[in-house]
Amino acid sequence: MKTAVYFCKCGSINSDGIPLEALRSQLLGTPDLAYIKQVDYLCAEDGKQWLEQDLLEEKPDRVVVAACSPREYEGAFRQVLEHAGMNSYFLQMVNIREQVAWVTPDSAQATAKAAHLIKGAVARAALHRPLQAGEIEASPNVLVIGGGPAGLKAALTLAEAGRRVVLVEKQPVLGGMPVKFEELFPTMECGPCMLEPVLGDIFHGKYAENIEVLTLSHLVGVTGYLGNFNATIEQAPRFVDETNCIGCGMCIPVCPVTTANEFNCGLDQRTAMALPFAGAMPNVPFLDNSLCVRSKGEACQLCLEACPVEGTVQFDQSVQRIERKVGAVVVAIGATLYDCSNLPALGYKQFDDVYTSMEFERLLASNGPSGGTVTTRAGDVPRSVAIVHCVGSLDRNHIPYCSGVCCQYAFKFNHLLTSKLPGLKIHHFYKELVMPGKEEFALYEHCANNPDSGFTRFAEIAELSVVAEGGAKRVALKQAGREPISVAADMVVLCPAVIPAEDSIGLGQMLEVTRDKQGFLEELNGRLHSTQSKIKGVYLAGTCQGPMDLQKALTMGTAAAGYVLSELVQGRKLEIDPISASVDADKCSGCKICGAVCPYKAIAHQADGNAEVNALLCHGCGTCVAACPSGAITGNHFTNDQILAEIEAMLR
Amino acid sequence: MTPFEPKIVGFLCNWCSYAGADKAGMSQTPYPPNVRIVRVMCSGRVDPQFVLHALENGADGVLVLACHPGDCHYKEGNYRASQRHRMMARYLTQLGIAPERCRFDYVSASEGERFVQVVTEFTEAVRKCGPMTAVGSAEETQAV
Repeated sequence: MKTAVYFCKCGSINSDGIPLEALRSQLLGTPDLAYIKQVDYLCAEDGKQWLEQDLLEEKPDRVVVAACSPREYEGAFRQVLEHAGMNSYFLQMVNIREQVAWVTPDSAQATAKAAHLIKGAVARAALHRPLQAGEIEASPNVLVIGGGPAGLKAALTLAEAGRRVVLVEKQPVLGGMPVKFEELFPTMECGPCMLEPVLGDIFHGKYAENIEVLTLSHLVGVTGYLGNFNATIEQAPRFVDETNCIGCGMCIPVCPVTTANEFNCGLDQRTAMALPFAGAMPNVPFLDNSLCVRSKGEACQLCLEACPVEGTVQFDQSVQRIERKVGAVVVAIGATLYDCSNLPALGYKQFDDVYTSMEFERLLASNGPSGGTVTTRAGDVPRSVAIVHCVGSLDRNHIPYCSGVCCQYAFKFNHLLTSKLPGLKIHHFYKELVMPGKEEFALYEHCANNPDSGFTRFAEIAELSVVAEGGAKRVALKQAGREPISVAADMVVLCPAVIPAEDSIGLGQMLEVTRDKQGFLEELNGRLHSTQSKIKGVYLAGTCQGPMDLQKALTMGTAAAGYVLSELVQGRKLEIDPISASVDADKCSGCKICGAVCPYKAIAHQADGNAEVNALLCHGCGTCVAACPSGAITGNHFTNDQILAEIEAMLR
Repeated sequence: MTPFEPKIVGFLCNWCSYAGADKAGMSQTPYPPNVRIVRVMCSGRVDPQFVLHALENGADGVLVLACHPGDCHYKEGNYRASQRHRMMARYLTQLGIAPERCRFDYVSASEGERFVQVVTEFTEAVRKCGPMTAVGSAEETQAV
């Protein structure tokens, strides 16, 4: 073994405290060490060229570069080795600048320390094995789960870039939450007006043929990994053929069965054959089989008879299992709202006209249950409305965080109510008011300047209660040491915390995506990689990661698409980092400890019980290597023999 | 006789503590030269046998530095390292080796000063333990 040591003077930073001759004498007799050469600036272009030339001439077997931190230049020197026709992993760096020269003022001590580190490196390098990056084919197709703003934006962005997208939505229609909002904060744009063009592009736009929309569908299984996922999707029957249907709606009014309309928060009725709300897309009704009298054995076919297009209502549709091969998965399943029944003093479901914000959005919507007319259950025009912010939020007994969107929509409600019902008294109860951003102050200013608006701050939500006095509702605030306050409220709107969707538990488990302390799907890094999950190839977008407004959800959707496009480049194979773990099947006892400690689920157990590492999923941390009781796992480039040799030699 | 200078092997994870040591270097803060650093990708890679191998081969102390809880580049390798350290401390005691000879701690990529502090403290702690040849001595037995 012929090992070369290249000592970078780094100008004189390294060589002042570590004189080459002194170092050389301490390294005398180091096994395998063929020569030490000194260079002024090894990292400079001419330094690297010189090194390449010298490697070509000297033909060493291993190279030790004593210079700066490998975190800075290891990649550059590996390239030099490669250019010189050597395997780039035959390099070992010694960090004599950061770890020795800069921190050890005494020259003798510095030289001794450098010598020890170099001995360790030379011993280690002798055991370095040639490694090569692997390659694997990858599908450029993408599965997007969730047809709300984030999912739609991700799907559309990917489709526009030429990718095939499978968009899975569990509801019969797309659009998520905001498509049901009459107006959107902060600029009071119409929700459907903003989102319907996006939906139009998804269904009929220039790139629509790249998007396969699967409504009434959910993911039931997924195998594989980045670049090669096999997704199994189950699609419930719609009983209406989407390609035939002309969206006339004639099948709907003839349906004899009704139920509470969940799309309007149960505030009105829908039929078994239904379209959730006017303008919903796809504009194709669906038949709710659990309600349809045919499922109870009756021979009703009123909808089929009413349909003007023959063959469109199809009673013989059944559940479909759809298999799709994709390279990446974007999860955008949204969030839900904290159950206001957890705060019984606020009167939700006890008194009429106490609404959640979502219910109130539908009441305000012109395509909602009341056509946008705001009246009490008794049919009167309300004279007073109380809006309670921070319902369950910023409260250790409920939800510890601030959802960040409620103040904005509360002010939006104020704005909409004031224009619908001039002179209406509106009172805001809040714990904190939150309105960061360049546009967000405007709605607050509008409320604050409204002489009919009032603001009262509470310290704890427990101080608030909704009470009925002689048939009139009031919101009462009782704070220790203060006069109780009460405000008339013909209607009460509760603004609950945004919480993780129930589906995030099951879907998280299926995709092995972790959930954070609050139960939201967890990012690889909340700031740096905020649309990547900890599972390679699975991306997150929108409120499944945490509360956010529409702008951010759409941005996250685009960002997730960007990650997919840069990770899965069409026509480019995926590179496998050779610094990964591998299992010696002969030594593996099948104890499965490695699988339990792997943070990336990169280890699978074959039928014979032996562990197998998927090198593409492996991040090379080596935790499994240290955990294996049989010594069956090798951590490439950080093998036991390499590290043990380094330890021994550096202590000599 | 030259005064005793402890030999210490330090296992540093690439992402936090090794970067922390680099920070100490960049800020040119001097610290005792006793620690010889072995870079590993993750503190979770530190096999307990590395610690024993170091002590067997002349190290007087072993330092394992990791990312702070919750900050591990590989999600949870630092927790594994912490568990292994607790086990190692008990094992060393059984061997009659003062557990103070092995320290596990957290240093982030920005904590150059903290790295200097940990290395300085640990060097002094190991100096107090004396050379490994003292294992079995009255002092070491008392420490155990």
